[in-house]
Amino acid sequence: MTPVIEVDNLTKTYKHSKSPSVDHISFDVAPGEFFAFLGPNGAGKTTTMSVLTTTLTYDSGDVKIAGYDINREAQRVREHIGIIFQRSSLDQQLTAEQNIRIHACMYGVYGYRPTFQMMPKSYRDRVLELAEIVGIEDSLFKPVKRLSGGMQRKLEIVRSLIHTPEVLFLDEPTTGMDAVSRRGLWDYINEVRNQYGTTIFLTTHYIDEAEGVDTVCIINKGHIVTCSSPDAMKQSLLRQEIILDAEDRSALCAELDTLGVPYKLNGHVTLEYQGSAQELLAKIQTKLTVLQVTEPSLEDAYVAFLNTTGGAEAPILNTTKKLEVAA
Amino acid sequence: MSEQTLTLNPAAGMTALRTTATAAGNAGEATRSTSKIFREINATFTVMMRDVILYFKSPGMAIMSLAMPAVMMGMIGGNLMQNMAKGLSFSFGPFMLVGMLVTMMFMTTTMGMSSLVDDSDSNFSEEMLVSPVSRYSIVIGKILGCSFAAIVSTLGAIIVGLIMNIQLPVKSLLLILAFSPLMCLSGGALAMIFIGLIKNKKAANMAVMLITMPQMFLSGGIIPISSSNGVLKVISRCLPMTYCIDLVRSFVGGGQPHMFNPAVNFVAIVGLTVVCLVIGTYLFARTEKSR
Repeated sequence: MTPVIEVDNLTKTYKHSKSPSVDHISFDVAPGEFFAFLGPNGAGKTTTMSVLTTTLTYDSGDVKIAGYDINREAQRVREHIGIIFQRSSLDQQLTAEQNIRIHACMYGVYGYRPTFQMMPKSYRDRVLELAEIVGIEDSLFKPVKRLSGGMQRKLEIVRSLIHTPEVLFLDEPTTGMDAVSRRGLWDYINEVRNQYGTTIFLTTHYIDEAEGVDTVCIINKGHIVTCSSPDAMKQSLLRQEIILDAEDRSALCAELDTLGVPYKLNGHVTLEYQGSAQELLAKIQTKLTVLQVTEPSLEDAYVAFLNTTGGAEAPILNTTKKLEVAA
Repeated sequence: MSEQTLTLNPAAGMTALRTTATAAGNAGEATRSTSKIFREINATFTVMMRDVILYFKSPGMAIMSLAMPAVMMGMIGGNLMQNMAKGLSFSFGPFMLVGMLVTMMFMTTTMGMSSLVDDSDSNFSEEMLVSPVSRYSIVIGKILGCSFAAIVSTLGAIIVGLIMNIQLPVKSLLLILAFSPLMCLSGGALAMIFIGLIKNKKAANMAVMLITMPQMFLSGGIIPISSSNGVLKVISRCLPMTYCIDLVRSFVGGGQPHMFNPAVNFVAIVGLTVVCLVIGTYLFARTEKSR
């Protein structure tokens, strides 16, 4: 299958900057794929996104979106993409609906009419449908400046989907949104994906948002560190961690020695284990007082990858999944 | 825009449009080309209407566009009439009214164009620039949108003129209004060269002054330039407003004989507008993309 996004040796150095912001990066995104681009601040995520969305020139490399070269056929590329920028790009003076109408007309989906009522019924239905899905139907005719940050984000989502783009670029789309709104947004984006087969290209600081994607690409200091599925990424780096304890800790340790399972004593008995935790636990006869199985999260893998490349930053959320059992 | 061509089903949207074009061979290609033209016109109209809506949403803008003629015509023009117009071989009132009307159009359009800096600040220019339309459509739409306020200013100037007992025949006023979109386009295109490069509101305000003041004094709007020579003559011949004022005077009189043939004026206006538009649009798009 021909990739919908093809990036080959892309390099971009900003004016007055000595080192490239992205340095010979290459990756492909398949049609319908949910692709997450992760990295610390200044890693090159937004630069890459800006180049892909034709809003930034680049120095060298080949980039194609939907088969069109972004340099020579920028206008054709723009027909196929939708974007939610990191910074709001709404006109604060206009109403929410006026912002959507301008977008729809700029993309040639509808001819411009001066009022919502004068727009074709299909437009009105579509706007009301999308607004209801993301929960802004009561704010459609309010000036954007009166909407909260979260509502404005939802409006941008409605706007970016009005022309049903083939590829949707989301540059940290949930920044400033509350947890409920975030969940609602992702549910809707997944629905759009399923319905229209839209390819999603996401950059985010919330690593948990990338847990369910098809491919995660980690970029650091302008270079791609790794590109694989979240599961493969976790498995390649991290093992399950099992924390145990018993009233008779020495008996437990002796049993683990007998089973040949390495462990560390750090308050409890901690062992890194690759394989089925259940199989191991079934073999332990000592009565346990503490049992905690820690599954590696994508965030753990992300931090581990960045540590290996010397660019880790404090993660925003601790998403480590813990299955705790009171023994 | 034809809704038949640009499918009404938003889910299919542009994809359906493209598919139709490729499937139907040459005929489809022609349809697509027509659709493309309509899309560009639609985009230009959309950008223009945004500025018109913003005009009505901003009472300050409306007040300013009516207050400016009072200041320009009433105070500057009135003072010139009282102190400098005596002894002239032509009637200064109609001369100044024609000059002020055109100056007002240029000045208000130029001021309006400075809102591009606001669009850039609020990131709305990104939204416009990622849309699949020509950058020219965006810039022309913006200029035409700003022209709305300019035309309101012109009407204000006519009212102030009437109060000052300076009158032009209705036919002449209608002719001026008929030429106003071309004149606004010309002024906006010139402004675009400067404002397209600027990313700072203060600098944009200074640029507006830098663009409008020389034109006001060197284009023959309120001071005759028929005897200008040297550098001032060269500059005045490079300014589109010179030809706009002269063209209007050639049709409506306006107190003093015009300098050039109307055809020369028209060609000069169109030529300078196209040159300014190409350079201004290139610089605008380049500044936004090239960082």
